[in-house]
Amino acid sequence: MDLSLSPAEREFRDAVRGWIEAHHPGREPDSEEQLFEFRRAWQRALNERGWAGLSWPTEYGGAGATLVEQAIFYEEVARAGAPSMANVLGLAMGGPTVIAHGTEEQKQRFLPPILSADEIWCQGFSEPESGSDLASLKTRAVRNGAEWVVTGQKVWTTYAHQAKWCMLVARTDPGAPRHRGLTYFLMDMEQDGVDVRPLVQITGEAEFNELFIEEARIPDENIVGGEGNGWPVAITTLMHERAGLAFALQVRVHVALRELRDDIRSAGLSDDRLIRQRFGQLYAEAQVLRLGAYRGLTRPPGPEGSLGKWHWAEVNQGVTELAMDVAGRRALLADGAWPYRFLRARANSIEGGTTEILKNIVAERVLGLPRA
Amino acid sequence: MNFDLSEDQRTIRSTAREFLAARYPPAEVRRLALEDERGFTDAQWSEMVELGWPEIAELGTVEMVLVAEELGYALAPTPLQSTWAAALLGAPLWEAQRGAVVVDGLAFDAGSADVLVDWDGAVVTGASVEPVRALDPTRRLFRVISDPPTPRSPVEGDVERGRLRATVMNAAESVGVAERAMEMAVAYAKERKQFGRPIGAYQAVSHMCAQMLLEVEGARSAVLWAAWALDHEPETAEVATAVAKAYAGDAGRRVPRAALQVHGGIGFTWEHDLHLFLKRGEANAHTFGEGPEHRERIAELAGL
Repeated sequence: MDLSLSPAEREFRDAVRGWIEAHHPGREPDSEEQLFEFRRAWQRALNERGWAGLSWPTEYGGAGATLVEQAIFYEEVARAGAPSMANVLGLAMGGPTVIAHGTEEQKQRFLPPILSADEIWCQGFSEPESGSDLASLKTRAVRNGAEWVVTGQKVWTTYAHQAKWCMLVARTDPGAPRHRGLTYFLMDMEQDGVDVRPLVQITGEAEFNELFIEEARIPDENIVGGEGNGWPVAITTLMHERAGLAFALQVRVHVALRELRDDIRSAGLSDDRLIRQRFGQLYAEAQVLRLGAYRGLTRPPGPEGSLGKWHWAEVNQGVTELAMDVAGRRALLADGAWPYRFLRARANSIEGGTTEILKNIVAERVLGLPRA
Repeated sequence: MNFDLSEDQRTIRSTAREFLAARYPPAEVRRLALEDERGFTDAQWSEMVELGWPEIAELGTVEMVLVAEELGYALAPTPLQSTWAAALLGAPLWEAQRGAVVVDGLAFDAGSADVLVDWDGAVVTGASVEPVRALDPTRRLFRVISDPPTPRSPVEGDVERGRLRATVMNAAESVGVAERAMEMAVAYAKERKQFGRPIGAYQAVSHMCAQMLLEVEGARSAVLWAAWALDHEPETAEVATAVAKAYAGDAGRRVPRAALQVHGGIGFTWEHDLHLFLKRGEANAHTFGEGPEHRERIAELAGL
């Protein structure tokens, strides 16, 4: 057991820290359009340094870094308050899925533009009738010669309006048992059959979209993992979502806690014992999250990743709830960062697998309890 | 950055698991806890001395917490934890001698201890030691009366570090208590049937079990971090210890409480072993600093 960084890891950390200091583009702009271009520029700068696909194999433009180095990178980004990268779904989910299940041609074709953010990715899994019960999804893909014709509806599609490619799970064999009749496609978003409509959420923003698909076309060569094999490929994507994003997200909890600490001070509540205890508890939980993220750095990510995702949602919501109490009557005003964060955090225990589904996964696959 | 135990550490843990399972089956735990006057036997103590356990902290804090966790898992009634804590606070103990720590006039295992120290590391002499009825029957508890105050001699050594190490040791024991209670709950949820199905198929039950795993694994991470920091990274040792004690102390009582709920009526009976885990976990949470105190300390160390 050694919880310190090795000399090589320290060297890597110092290199990342120095590079970020030298290239930090400053505060993120407020407008959504500018924000996207800002993050795209940041990703391109990182990619030129070889760090956009840090843990990807070197033959596909990655840096072949260890999982610990990737973790160090996230910690340094958060520490410096550096921006997120624009193509987060392609980097954290789409790329790793293609690396795990794609053909050599697919890797050559799809991976480099993910890294350069020339092609943005989105995820077409959830449907209006299929949320937690993903395998019940109804979007149909029918073979027509060397291509597939897709019709259906997807929802909660982040970045759909910027995306070139959609990780789309569709039903290709309605007669097969429901987990076996699914196929994982990469769908070109730039075609007439795809209509993107923004979905306004409780914060008033439209971070997500609805996707209406009417006879969209997908060539055969854009199937990942083979026809009828969509379920295990989709699980790969979801495991990477929970494990990969969880690390970056837990780092942001620590940053939020530092801001909350300063707000408690300026609100004159530093001596309030109840506030101190609640803060201390959240700090302890954030440390437990961080340690769990390091313990969970395994490849490929397993069902234990579900623990971290659900714990993160609880802690992140807890931080924003304490912040609202610290704000007191100022919480009546919709300005400032915390009211927005408080509202946005309500989605944490729903997006990327509801807490209830994650508890099912842990109960069944880790503890071996019978299926619900 | 890795949590993998060394080969030696894995051997220490597996030896402890096997030895304690053989020597402290549930029937023996109950006999010692509920019938034996001292709560342990000389033969049991001698065996632990032969294993080198009273001095295991000399190998490292990590090594000590691995055994402490197993003591909690087995719920072994033994004066070993008290002896560790006393030694960590600087009590002068000869080979095979036992120690106890007096906090607020109460001390576990004081009746069979050779040396008493207080939380400031001062040796307590000439005090009267009287048994009291304890919440946790697996350890003997005593009231230590020093009225008029008896002379106390400060002991040598780094008392602050000793307090932290004793605190992490206690937290580690709670991890073992919680893990065993979780195992009991999960096993029962698989086997107990109601309405024609195992109760573990109901989400109200299975989600409680999943929550137990989250708390057990989180508590284990925090304890290993603190133990490691005490040996290798003194600048984070204090906050890590407070985090470990606050989090694992809570897990040590929340998990048995939930496990009792999973067991239903049988878990509320004297004949079932679960209440012994519930009581040990609760007692640990009130030993060497309680949750609110540690949480306030965390806030202070985090700059609040």
